[in-house]
Amino acid sequence: MAENTLPKLLKKNAEKYGDRRIAMRVKDRGLWQRFTWRDYYENVKYFSLGLISLGMKREDKISILGENKPEIFWAEIAVQAAGGTAVDIYTDCTPPEVKFYVTDSDSTFVVAHDQEQVDKLLQIKDDLPLVKKVIYWDPKGLWNYEDPILISFPNMIQLGKDYEKSHPGLFEESIENGREEEIALICYTSGTTGLPKGAMISHRGLVAIAQAWRDVDHWSDQDRYVSFLHPAWITEQAVGVAGQLVSGMEVNFPEEPETVQENIREIGPTILFFAPRLWENINRMVQAKITDTSALRRWIYHLLLPIGYKTAEYRLSKRRLGILWKLLHQMAHWVLFRSLRDRVGLSRIRCAYTAGSAVSPDILNYFQAIGVNIKQLYGGSEQGLVTIHLDGEIKYETCGPPMPGVEVRLSPEGEILVKGENIFSGYYKNIEATQEKIRDGWYYTGDFGYIDDDRHLVVIDRMEDLKELKGGRKFSPQFAEIRLRFFPYIKDALVIGGEDKDYVTAIINIDLDNVGRWAEARRIPYTTFTDLSQKSEVIELIKKDIQRINKFLPKWSRIKIFVNLHKEFDADEAELTRTRKLRRTFVESRYSDLITALYGKDQEYNMEASITYRDGRKGVIKTAIQINQVEEEIQ
Amino acid sequence: MNKQLSIKLKAIDICLNFGGVAALSDISFDVREGEMLAVIGPNGAGKTSILNCINGFYRPQKGGMTFEDQNIYHLPPHQIARLGIGRTFQNIELFTGLSVLDNLMAARHLHLRRGALAGAIYFGPARREEIRHREVVEDIIDLLEMEPYRKKLVGLLPYGVRKRVELGRALALEPKLLLLDEPMAGMNLEEKEDMARFIIDIHEIKQIPIVLVEHDMEVVMDIAERLVVLDFGKKIAEGNPEEIRQNTLVIRAYLGEEEVEA
Repeated sequence: MAENTLPKLLKKNAEKYGDRRIAMRVKDRGLWQRFTWRDYYENVKYFSLGLISLGMKREDKISILGENKPEIFWAEIAVQAAGGTAVDIYTDCTPPEVKFYVTDSDSTFVVAHDQEQVDKLLQIKDDLPLVKKVIYWDPKGLWNYEDPILISFPNMIQLGKDYEKSHPGLFEESIENGREEEIALICYTSGTTGLPKGAMISHRGLVAIAQAWRDVDHWSDQDRYVSFLHPAWITEQAVGVAGQLVSGMEVNFPEEPETVQENIREIGPTILFFAPRLWENINRMVQAKITDTSALRRWIYHLLLPIGYKTAEYRLSKRRLGILWKLLHQMAHWVLFRSLRDRVGLSRIRCAYTAGSAVSPDILNYFQAIGVNIKQLYGGSEQGLVTIHLDGEIKYETCGPPMPGVEVRLSPEGEILVKGENIFSGYYKNIEATQEKIRDGWYYTGDFGYIDDDRHLVVIDRMEDLKELKGGRKFSPQFAEIRLRFFPYIKDALVIGGEDKDYVTAIINIDLDNVGRWAEARRIPYTTFTDLSQKSEVIELIKKDIQRINKFLPKWSRIKIFVNLHKEFDADEAELTRTRKLRRTFVESRYSDLITALYGKDQEYNMEASITYRDGRKGVIKTAIQINQVEEEIQ
Repeated sequence: MNKQLSIKLKAIDICLNFGGVAALSDISFDVREGEMLAVIGPNGAGKTSILNCINGFYRPQKGGMTFEDQNIYHLPPHQIARLGIGRTFQNIELFTGLSVLDNLMAARHLHLRRGALAGAIYFGPARREEIRHREVVEDIIDLLEMEPYRKKLVGLLPYGVRKRVELGRALALEPKLLLLDEPMAGMNLEEKEDMARFIIDIHEIKQIPIVLVEHDMEVVMDIAERLVVLDFGKKIAEGNPEEIRQNTLVIRAYLGEEEVEA
């Protein structure tokens, strides 16, 4: 019989590998603690029985609120083994957000990481009548909490062990009763628009995605993965949870979110999945370190990097390199790329992935040049994994061809439609939205794109984010933004235009570290972020970057006016989503006066902004912002 | 002696003079088992001098000091540390050239039983001992959330983190009484909150009495169970936070002679 649910797959792996292979590693107390497949299975088993003994029923929903740790995986599979559905929630959600997710999903239990998360739940527990228990696994700071709603992870395991004595075989039976169409997960969409909706994902869908992905990239039990993306992301579920269960790979958990980079270097993963921003961060970090290093090293770096670019170009277009180039590349590998990759923990990497939002082709090119096989893919909570780059068929502008078993077509308006086992089963308690998004088995993604001659999918932007200038010419702000973000001095950018507007403008966030270092090297004194951003030298610096990308844009969509914003966009002020995507509509309305000024005649704009401090207090700051014109470069 | 309160440390009529200047005059107070006692007062009131008298840095001219009913008056600092009194300093005193881990391990020297030679060979009992000490240190790193800094040089760390390392080092002694000298001085609000949380955690998990010298009244009133207030080397009040808040002498010492609203 085929294993068509996650708990069945776990049971099979536990029988196959037992204590002989390591399933998980987590760094704790400075050491990598190991859990074999048997440990994994037994934790799941007793946790699951513990839940049942406390009154959990099939089809119950259980919210999980924690950082990536083995306990989160155990809890999730335990919930599914008891026939329930796991709902992962981001740990940086505020109590009202947590309340929304727990209430909307009708959760009957909440699994929480530590004191921080438990405090949130205790604060809102009176509004959560369905929640029977809050289970925590990190006891630090919770020793004196006496609320009867709380129970610790070890106590749950004990409850499970006791329950097994009176109900032997119940757990195995419960796994056997699992059906593939049962809902394994509810993933809340990250909410760039409106209230988050819970996308229901069945075991069948999740297993199909993971198996297809495994087959494409040949995942096996020899692979090592570092779990870092939050499990509320479908991608972490597809690689870290389901991907591990279908391939037997080893999953490693970092000690703390702050130690990820260090831990990756210790583990030397073969598979890694980073959001585009993290790849950008690594790239930025390397560039900054190179700027700071000795002149000789810098010279070697700049001398050998072009060899990497050339080799990558040939490899990706399946052309053969001449013997001389091969030798040069070998030399560059030993002198530079090998140690460079090791420094960032990517020395053994076989498959590096990125997805989530559009990523700059320059970034992908950079990593391919230093020998990291980075692939882009296209997917989401609702559509599952749709396309992925195949080895030797990588085109930076695209997201690769459709996965086996997935159909992709375009609507007449250019919207991407997806059909296959991988798409979700509907929105939880929202038939209207489901019917609107799934018609005749096709899921309407809301993404605008096209399919090129090699069947590769190119995703340009969200349908609703495409803009028109006066006269009806379409342009995609995001297209320019990601290219701006690649420059080391620009951290973020918002590109603006509209039907009532003649030209395109931009709001820029400078990168404090890199611009600060640049200013220091040139002895330009500055006090704060605001001060630095408005220095005339810095404005010139940013202007040059904008001129560079303007060259690649059609004339009408070139950026004519820009400002350096006096502060960084901030997720705490709702300017970015929790996955750090820009919330365009919100930001545009927040800075509407500034935007009006961009289309006016003034050279300066006086900003009066209310800001929220870290401790929750609010204040008003006044700043003069320079409005800057971008001249056409004289060729 | 008053036994039923289970007094951990007792200071009797401590007088400390620097030349003609009386830094402390006739200070008496107790530290009780498991309590969080704060010593507060305006600048120059003698708060740090009190801690220095307790752990033997200063030798008072007159008075008496007992710790666990043992006379510690005029004992040298290293012997007092050995008896189980750990402290942190207002101006951080760490080995800046060592990593966080090594700083904490160094603090375990009081508990080392094996000699230098056995440690160098790192075999058998010496090895087991080192592992045991490392476990204690790892618990402290976990408690104070110092994982990202474990192997970083102390000299390269930001001020707020160094304060934490110092607290960690005091804990590594496994003290029976912890003296903290302005653990929150010079920190921003977020760091202060973190530090307050760590102090409360330590108090809960270790169940040891803590004497806290602190400038920040808000924090002190929140976390201390009992306060001793000093002004110009004299004890002017003692009591729980509510009593201290109402005390007119304290209000006068902090806010001057002017009439203040209740």
